[in-house]
Amino acid sequence: MATTFTLRGFGFARSAKTEPVTTEKPLVRWSLIAVAVLFLGVFLFMPLAVVFASALAKGFSVYISALREPDALAAIKLTLLAAGIAVPMNLIFGVAAAWAIGKFEFFGKSFLVTLIDLPFSVSPVVSGLIYVLIFGLQGVLGPWFAAHDIKIIFAVPGIVLATVFVTFPFVARELIPLVQAQGNEEEEAALSLGANGWRTFFRVTLPNIKWGLLYGVILCNARAMGEFGAVSVVSGHIRGRTNTMPLHIEILYNEYRFAPAFAVASLLALLALVTLVVKSVVEGKSEEHEAELRVERIPEPIVVGPEVNAA
Amino acid sequence: MSIETIDISKRFGQFKALDSVDLEIPSGELVALLGPSGSGKTTLLRIIAGLEFADSGAVRFDGKDISDRSARERQVGFVFQHYALFRHMTVFENIAFGLKVRPRLHRPSRAQIRAKVQELLKLIQLETLADRYPSQLSGGQRQRVALARALAVEPSVLLLDEPFGALDAQVRLELRRWLRQLHDEIHITSVFVTHDQEEALEVADRVVVMNNGRIEQVGSPDEVYNHPASPFVYNFLGNVNLFHGRIDGEKTYIHERETGHVVYVRPHLLEIDRQPNGGSHFRARIKHINSAGPLVKVEAVAEWGDPVHIEMSQERFQGLQLIKNESVFVIPKDVKVFQSNEAVKAK
Amino acid sequence: MAFSFKQKSILPGFGLSLGFTVLYLSLIVLIPLSATFLKASSLNWPQFWHIVTAPRAIASYELSFGASAIAAGINLVFGLLVAWVLVRYSFPGKRLFDSMVDLPFALPTAVAGIALTAIYSSHGWIGQYLQPFGIKTAYSRLGVIIALTFTGLPFVVRTVQPVLEDLDKEMEEAAASLGAGRWQTITRVLLPAIMPAALTGLTMAFARAVGEYGSVVFISGNMPMRTEITPLLIITKLEQYDYAGATAIAVVMLVVSFVMLLAINLLQAWSRSRMSTKSSSETGLPQLSQA
Repeated sequence: MATTFTLRGFGFARSAKTEPVTTEKPLVRWSLIAVAVLFLGVFLFMPLAVVFASALAKGFSVYISALREPDALAAIKLTLLAAGIAVPMNLIFGVAAAWAIGKFEFFGKSFLVTLIDLPFSVSPVVSGLIYVLIFGLQGVLGPWFAAHDIKIIFAVPGIVLATVFVTFPFVARELIPLVQAQGNEEEEAALSLGANGWRTFFRVTLPNIKWGLLYGVILCNARAMGEFGAVSVVSGHIRGRTNTMPLHIEILYNEYRFAPAFAVASLLALLALVTLVVKSVVEGKSEEHEAELRVERIPEPIVVGPEVNAA
Repeated sequence: MSIETIDISKRFGQFKALDSVDLEIPSGELVALLGPSGSGKTTLLRIIAGLEFADSGAVRFDGKDISDRSARERQVGFVFQHYALFRHMTVFENIAFGLKVRPRLHRPSRAQIRAKVQELLKLIQLETLADRYPSQLSGGQRQRVALARALAVEPSVLLLDEPFGALDAQVRLELRRWLRQLHDEIHITSVFVTHDQEEALEVADRVVVMNNGRIEQVGSPDEVYNHPASPFVYNFLGNVNLFHGRIDGEKTYIHERETGHVVYVRPHLLEIDRQPNGGSHFRARIKHINSAGPLVKVEAVAEWGDPVHIEMSQERFQGLQLIKNESVFVIPKDVKVFQSNEAVKAK
Repeated sequence: MAFSFKQKSILPGFGLSLGFTVLYLSLIVLIPLSATFLKASSLNWPQFWHIVTAPRAIASYELSFGASAIAAGINLVFGLLVAWVLVRYSFPGKRLFDSMVDLPFALPTAVAGIALTAIYSSHGWIGQYLQPFGIKTAYSRLGVIIALTFTGLPFVVRTVQPVLEDLDKEMEEAAASLGAGRWQTITRVLLPAIMPAALTGLTMAFARAVGEYGSVVFISGNMPMRTEITPLLIITKLEQYDYAGATAIAVVMLVVSFVMLLAINLLQAWSRSRMSTKSSSETGLPQLSQA
């Protein structure tokens, strides 16, 4: 870009009177930028920084040993297990819901979408409570499970269930608008060419939604591994057995073992950063993808003009 | 209010949008800036409005240099191609906007504002739609509201950027005539940008033909159409036949080979006859006849191989009873000769 | 006029996908949620009312709703500012800041909770400077507000950003050409246009804040009647095996959640209708006279 552009961008090359009408004076601009940056710095960057600073406050060896403690390792394992089950389940659900809702028109569709959004609006603690009310000893199904010696609440299955609940809408929410916006034309074309439903889905629909899908999965995973409130209610806090990473952090913190608490927290913070980076990449890719599709679909503008009869 | 642009130049990065443009627009005229995309016409309009600023040169209103004034201070009425109506305001509020944002001292009373808006609604014939929102109007209605909004502040200059570009053909025609009538009533200095030569020729008092950031010709519609100053203007306005040729004294010769000159002839200025009739002529064989429409279009091949396009009235065609593959005489009524290096390849 | 459940389509798999969707939804969400109401119904009305209006409960509502409202308000103001700055201006590191806005979505609440407490406690990075002025942030209501501001930060920004990006610059140019000053253009033309989106974001931030647990429970101090948030009250009751009590409070929270969800949906619909630029012939609204 020529220098004229960059200088205009910083607003220094012109007098105040020759600013484009759709922008503010440089002083106003930079003040607003400063306030915004300060706000974001205090509320976002500082908490992130303090996690890593506190984790390493007592030195690197303390950091590592905190992570290698048996209880910590068990917590990590359980977290991975819960996410490893919840994410694929909600992925399949998300895809099924996106197909049903995005490709068809039927009565009660928007009601269904609202229902899918429910877990998103429910408090995590309540999310955990509702499973206790079903599977707990006093719960609706509690006695049946107790009689068969199957532990749901205060055991791993309960944790998995609660995780599935809180991350329920993530993939669906990403995919539904995406699938809706893409329309049915390509799938109809594939069907008319003889492909069956599954073929059409895997070869036509899936490639078109791959970036949205990835994004939904990333978010789903981040929430699954980081869920605290719901899991706190159903887990029973049994060390080494029913503690996920967030719960383990809570225990360490309450015992004033700050450095180890932040050490485990730093792993989750790293995961959050990875999530953000992947999100950024995915957004870039999906924009590229969209742009490509758009270029193909817009017809050439019709040029209005005289016919020229050249020699 | 007369408008003058003096030596205006503007670059966007590497692209030169305007190159030393000098233009004078007398007060009260309706002027069209006509040209293909990229010719700089919209950029020039926006510079006059104060929505863009030139890299060099000046803009004067009534002789006064206003180059440093922002759009807000220039008191121009601007109508955008896509209307730019305020979506969250009703038609009434849109039109009243310019009056409502005046500083307290100059602000008219609510009654005065209402009266003015009613007057304008009557002018654009949309009195019953005052409480509608833009999303409830058709394209043509929206454009009229945009015009009323611009007129509400009683600007000294009205600028329109491809005002009918986004409308259906039928609506475009109607609004074109309506704009002409409006101007005849109000006599406000108006400049509009278009790439549609028919529109420019039909509506404007004066046409400014632009290409590649420069003005090719300024003149009345008749002047630019019948006496084009350059090959580009000739090409852009109306159909044209191109032949190699040269001028020798008073005579113009059409040749089959490169001669360094190009001869331009309009299809309706070529007459077909079965006799040479004394005047200069050449032979051609008829290849195709299209008689559907107000004019009959005939495609032929000249004796030296060049294609020739001829237009004639239905009457003449009926009189001639031409048939395909017939060999006839073609008599040019008026030609223009330009040097080859001026000739523009079809854009 | 026969009623058909679904429009005809040649695409297969409707039955399968819808069936699975509804089944999964029922098993994971609907049935467990109904269990809550079922359990709560084991209480009769006076008992229920007594529990949910107990002083401790009321104090927790005040805190949860009050702090959420204040935090949402802060996020409305600053969220608009941040969205504006990110969309309209460029400055070094902008892309980094833009990505970081999503941190509260990605960072686990417990991690946020301990981090915020560390910053605002009396020896913390910020807390130490506020201490001499007698401003107590950690273990106070102010701390709760700060934590809830963190969790709600992305909502207003992310709902307003796309709307700002789509705004036609020509509207601003039109306003300027009609004589409006910059401030007038912003308040009369731009803000009304983005208000539906901003309000949607505000409601979402509020809804999220009301139910928030992990980010708040460390910094609040959890003193009953003072800094005890409603979700914590539920957990406390559970630990005391007061299932009925916990359920009753949970029902209150669920009702609030549903109302918020409804409000958000309505706001989003309003926002969408405002942004529509289609002419009446496309939206199906009555076509009024030609041209």
